[in-house]
Amino acid sequence: MSIIDVTNLTKYYGKSRGIVDVSFQVEEGEIFGFIGPNGAGKSTTIRLLLSLIHPTSGSARVFDLDVVTQGPEIRRNIGYLPSEVYYYEGMKVIDLLRYSASFFPGDFTKRMHELSEIMELELNRRISDLSYGNKKKVGIVQGLLHSPRLLFLDEPTAGLDPLMQRKFFNLIREENARGVTVFFSSHILGEVQRLCTRVGIIREGRMAEISDIRSLQQNNYKKVRVMAEGLDADLFQIPGVTNIQVEDGSLNFFFKGDINLVLQKIGGMRVEDVTIEEPTLEEIFMHYYE
Amino acid sequence: MRIFIRELKANFKSLLIWSVVLFLLIMIAVAKFSAFFENPEMLSMLDSIPPAMLDALDMRSFNLTTLSGFYGFMFIYFGLMGAMAAAMWGSDIISKEERDKTVEFSLVLPVSRSQVITAKALAALVNCIGFVLITWIVSIIAVQQYNPDKAFFDFLALEMQAMFVLEMIFLAIGLLLGCAMKHYKRSGSTAVAIILTTYFLSILSGMEEKLDFLKYLTPFKYFDAGNMFRTGQMESIYLIISICIVLVCVFGAYWIYNRRDLYI
Repeated sequence: MSIIDVTNLTKYYGKSRGIVDVSFQVEEGEIFGFIGPNGAGKSTTIRLLLSLIHPTSGSARVFDLDVVTQGPEIRRNIGYLPSEVYYYEGMKVIDLLRYSASFFPGDFTKRMHELSEIMELELNRRISDLSYGNKKKVGIVQGLLHSPRLLFLDEPTAGLDPLMQRKFFNLIREENARGVTVFFSSHILGEVQRLCTRVGIIREGRMAEISDIRSLQQNNYKKVRVMAEGLDADLFQIPGVTNIQVEDGSLNFFFKGDINLVLQKIGGMRVEDVTIEEPTLEEIFMHYYE
Repeated sequence: MRIFIRELKANFKSLLIWSVVLFLLIMIAVAKFSAFFENPEMLSMLDSIPPAMLDALDMRSFNLTTLSGFYGFMFIYFGLMGAMAAAMWGSDIISKEERDKTVEFSLVLPVSRSQVITAKALAALVNCIGFVLITWIVSIIAVQQYNPDKAFFDFLALEMQAMFVLEMIFLAIGLLLGCAMKHYKRSGSTAVAIILTTYFLSILSGMEEKLDFLKYLTPFKYFDAGNMFRTGQMESIYLIISICIVLVCVFGAYWIYNRRDLYI
């Protein structure tokens, strides 16, 4: 059983597109990266999974429960860090965290103090007095407090300084080591690369690719750069070659497939220099958006 | 239960402010009343006011030089305040979560939307009951100087019951607006617009016989203080209409809120 099972999920807001025909699975214990630029449909997908909004068509199950009809049961085991954090302004941090924790069975006082200490969060301040970054910290503690089985993180690092980001990533890794499944949405590829085991790439509301992060980087794509005189882009028009660019006497392209095909082509030429390397996620990503 | 208590705390200030306004209204009105009280000159002055004007202000039914008459005249203002407060509480208690963008917190907790509405509606209900009780108590204290008789207290009790029913109608309407309107900014103003429209309808229906049918459209006419004063009770047909309005609105609120997308 997958922890998240999304099938042909579609959401339109009136006529404007939210997401179209999105399908994917997230397995127990993995950190699933969900990347795409702003407006691609990342938050829409998460909000559908949390039953804040309802799908136009298609279905989604979390813990094998239907998101439309069984939302409250699903949310018993979920922690959510929204991209923008808003809480009841008049409350103190500690009262808000206690209020949140009171909806879940168990005593989380010790955990609350542990987490606040790690994130350097002052518990006695009023929510309305907090800066954006500090509100985000409240969100992190609130999301992790009740030891959920599944974490939804929507652009979690915005507003956190690099030191806090590192502490936050460590926290997420610790949670994951305890078996917590993480759904990590971001448009910053570096952090997805650091943390995730698999990624889904969403583009204009549609899932462009779902792939193991290693195979995405190592097995599937190579970034090839050839320097030679009299280069012709047509020479490399073979299956698997994409994104050919000629600049300053060098030819750049991505290749997916049997690398020997490319080597044979190159072998027949007199080249000045050749590099074949793994593209960064950033480059793969750009490639999907062109 | 936790949502209910949190909402009570969050709305306590609002109840306090409304109560202070009401307290001032009653105190000023009762102070003014001292000029009317058992004053024959006032009676003849009131007789000289054009009848249409009296109709518009609903002053014809009452002898303003008696305490009961004066309180009959005051009823519409209690009703208006109660309706206003109830409608604001009803719509705001739901829509504020979207206005303040806290839905991404409060509705990601393991509670159903129906549970949220129930807890919040009960908190608003407590406020409405509190508001009526405060009106009642302040009135009793304020009129002590005129040595009111039992008939006055009975009439006051009836007025307060009618005010409560008015509150319930507008609380339910407010709740429905808060649950149904995605544009949270408009739910409060729509509620006020409905109150003012129905209030003016009630004035119109009193002024012109041809417009008498309007009385079914405006809750403010359901509990006409003059009628209540004469009959000593609320008319059952209007009580039934009121209950129907409340049930339809509350049912609609649950139905819509459970189905619609939250505005984030």
